Amino acid sequence: MNWQIRYALASFAREGRSTAEHVGGDVIKIMTPDRPEVLAAITTAETIDQATAAHYREHVAGLDFLCGYRAQCVWEGGAIQYLEENDVGWGNFGTLASATLKGDANSAPHKVYKFSDRLLRQYGRTAKIDREFDRIHRVTLHSGATFRIGMIAEYEPTADEVRSLWARFGPVDIVWNINPNGTPQPAAAAAGRELGCEVMKWDELKDRLSKA
Amino acid sequence: MGRVEGSPEQGLMTASEIAAYLLGKCALLEHFDAYMFGSTLHGVGQDIDILIVGPGGDLLAQLKKEIDCAGESLPLHILYMQPSEERHTKFVAREKCIPLVQLV
Repeated sequence: MNWQIRYALASFAREGRSTAEHVGGDVIKIMTPDRPEVLAAITTAETIDQATAAHYREHVAGLDFLCGYRAQCVWEGGAIQYLEENDVGWGNFGTLASATLKGDANSAPHKVYKFSDRLLRQYGRTAKIDREFDRIHRVTLHSGATFRIGMIAEYEPTADEVRSLWARFGPVDIVWNINPNGTPQPAAAAAGRELGCEVMKWDELKDRLSKA
Repeated sequence: MGRVEGSPEQGLMTASEIAAYLLGKCALLEHFDAYMFGSTLHGVGQDIDILIVGPGGDLLAQLKKEIDCAGESLPLHILYMQPSEERHTKFVAREKCIPLVQLV
């Protein structure tokens, strides 16, 4: 049994509201009273691209959810689009656990980025969004202005997280701290300035977009 | 300390075993202050929260490689902070972080 399967099964057992069993390979089945059974694949891939997503969907009949177990797991935009078009939920283990309880595992998106993605899409001046990665959005406004925005979900983004985002995904215009209760550290803002981007919360981002 | 599930090779590891494993695998940790916090201290967690406080630059880059290797079969969630960030946030005290060397 893979290590990530043992962790997943142990977490469901500890939480207690669902029961989970190993089906084989990277796949588990989760049973919750009064909710649909969930067939989920748990992968340790650090990056999930469309080919990885298609592999799991094609090899796991009835797949409801693809879970990237590693904290550093990154989802490419192509994988996200593919899974959503094929009614497969996607995200981290927390997303799987909550979607299992809600009963919407085969439509659930990564809970960490769900609301920030929606905020950008529902913002009135947005003309187009290209979701390059789970946390990287290229936003084009009706004015024609374009911003490449990277999201950091931590409560207190650090300088290292800003630098790591830049190193992993390339230059961004804005680093958005999407944690509503978060406060970017001064060192994080300084790291952003060194790199050539700004670190901000939603109110400041909205103000920036409104003036572009 | 509670027993947590998952092991690089074969099975379950306690918080203290994880601490010993990381300290043994990541020699560069001696240049940093490393802590464990979160649910793993009390039993099974979805991931293993580790705080590392210290310098940036090349030394940090090398440490990250060591930790990536050590974490091949562990759900490590690593938070890296500069000393000034830790002082500013009081993260160690607020999150009741325990030094890895005390867990061994």
